[in-house]
Amino acid sequence: MGESHSGLRRALRSEAGKGLTIVSPPLVYSLLLLAAPLATIVLLSFWTQQFLTIDRTFTFANYEEALSDPLYRELMFRSLRISGMVTLVTVVTAFPIAYFISFRVAPNRKSLWLFLITIPFWTSYLIRVFLWRVILAYDGPVNGTLLGLGIIDEPLGFILYNANAVVVTLAHAFAPFAILPIFVSLERIDRSLLEAARDLGESHAMTFFRVTLPLAMPGVLAAALIVFIPTVGDYVTPRLVGGSGGTMIANMIYAQIFDLNNRPMGATLAVLAMGTVAVISIGLILLTRLWTGPKR
Amino acid sequence: MKDTTPPPAIITLDDVHKYYGDYHALRGISAEIRQGEFFSLLGPSGCGKTTLLRAIAGFEDISSGHIQLNGRNMEGVPPNKRPTNMVFQSYAIFPHLSVAQNVAFGLRRTSMSGDEKKRAVAEALEMVGLKDYGRRAAHALSGGQRQRVALARALILKPKVLLLDEPLSALDKKMREQMQVELIKLQREVGITFILVTHDQEEALVMSDRIAVMFEGEIAQLDDPELLYRRPNSRRVAEFIGMMNFLPADVISVSDGRAEVEVAGLGRAELDAAQCPGGAIVGAARIGLRPESLTILFEGQSPEGGRSAEGVVEEVVYYGDMTYYDVLIDGAPNKVSVSMRNMPGRRVLERGAPAHLAWDPRAMVLFS
Repeated sequence: MGESHSGLRRALRSEAGKGLTIVSPPLVYSLLLLAAPLATIVLLSFWTQQFLTIDRTFTFANYEEALSDPLYRELMFRSLRISGMVTLVTVVTAFPIAYFISFRVAPNRKSLWLFLITIPFWTSYLIRVFLWRVILAYDGPVNGTLLGLGIIDEPLGFILYNANAVVVTLAHAFAPFAILPIFVSLERIDRSLLEAARDLGESHAMTFFRVTLPLAMPGVLAAALIVFIPTVGDYVTPRLVGGSGGTMIANMIYAQIFDLNNRPMGATLAVLAMGTVAVISIGLILLTRLWTGPKR
Repeated sequence: MKDTTPPPAIITLDDVHKYYGDYHALRGISAEIRQGEFFSLLGPSGCGKTTLLRAIAGFEDISSGHIQLNGRNMEGVPPNKRPTNMVFQSYAIFPHLSVAQNVAFGLRRTSMSGDEKKRAVAEALEMVGLKDYGRRAAHALSGGQRQRVALARALILKPKVLLLDEPLSALDKKMREQMQVELIKLQREVGITFILVTHDQEEALVMSDRIAVMFEGEIAQLDDPELLYRRPNSRRVAEFIGMMNFLPADVISVSDGRAEVEVAGLGRAELDAAQCPGGAIVGAARIGLRPESLTILFEGQSPEGGRSAEGVVEEVVYYGDMTYYDVLIDGAPNKVSVSMRNMPGRRVLERGAPAHLAWDPRAMVLFS
């Protein structure tokens, strides 16, 4: 008894044992809360719903249906299109902000600026989405201002309850996630490289395109992935501001599981969405590595 | 035979001042840097030498004064429009580009064809001894190789002036000495004016045609290495460049610039005007003597010219080729350092041994 106890203690004190001790709580956590549900979903996707019961015979029927039904396909493509747009808008607007903080803000003020960027996060995601609903509403401040200035004669209907509203809302919500990685990659650029480019005859603009941007690409890619991956599966924003034209795949997954009581179909769509995102992300990473990697 | 008329100036600095807020970084720098010379800005850190270099390159605006480069006033001219190129202290090699792409970076704006560019890059790489390195990734280079890439990248553009910001400080001692020689050779080969910023006096002496010694934003002395070493015009310059012994002295009389001095422990000496760079005034002063201009006499040797003094060896530092002795001369208030070449059959003196010293008044410099 005592023998095995001290043996265990010795094992725990070894390097590998220490490492294991440190990772085991998050490991258990991720096994229970990530891997197990994921496995359940995958398993579920190969079963079928029979009115009130689940038929547990292994089948690809759900996948066949999901891939052949134009509704599912349309929703998937729309989700990718909307998140692609969100990613583009977010990264393009985040870059100047990150650039400004990295290059124009005095070093002792940078952390303050980063702190200010997190202020929107002080309120909940849901409240922020609702606020966008108010801002973009038919009688909201955007339409009110445009009307008041005489730019438009009647309120714009196309700014809420469609894909544009989803893009605007998500781009705002994910802006800090895009700003931070880009900021970090800009911070890591040795400033003497920019001086060297100037010294070798390049203008400010060409220095940006030949030195700053290529060196910031890892951060830009990280930002794109951080925005793209979660927005494909976003459910709240399309539900609240998307209308019918802004409905995305996650809304269909929700409908399958909770409204139509077809959990296997919901699981199948979830697995397909996950697979699509994984393939696109890996493709993007490989492409960027090819592009920004050391050249001959 | 040396041509006595110096080549024309490529850079003229006229009363250049630079303020950072209240801080006066450059205080009225005036100098001419000649075509084709190897010019060094030497000084301790914070003396303004790098600021001056960056002002010449166009990275710093000057608060007042003029910088003329190749006959053109450089006011308002950005760095990319100046006929200068720089080798940065960190070398600033673009990490996302290959060696060849780094070297070719500045060629984009030239009218060269693709083949001409390739040839120019190959030539530039060969010149710095990196013939087959073109395809390598820049981040896979050693410090010395990075330095060479930086040199090739700057020289390929055939600048009027090459600016070097402490280019050797990141290298180890052996590599540094090797690169010093290579840089001198390279400079002679290409004939371009080099301006080197360094805090290493030895490096400046080895490499330069002329050196400007800077303290606190001012040029304290601008001379060729030999004059700077033999005739420093102030105690500060003397102490910064090499080792200098100081002994109290009394100036007894001054006539026609020549000064008659009584040096503590050594006795009377007559100095000419060149030996009194700061002028001579009757009264208390100091003389400076380099360690190698004092000689310990061994048995059978006699001082040439008959000047000698007695003292005691207080400390011995053996360097292999040289031995440095700290000697307290009878009648002198402080020790002096004497360097002696070690020769076969000559023993190294021990601490406490009596020392018979020979000295030469021609090696003395008078400081107020």
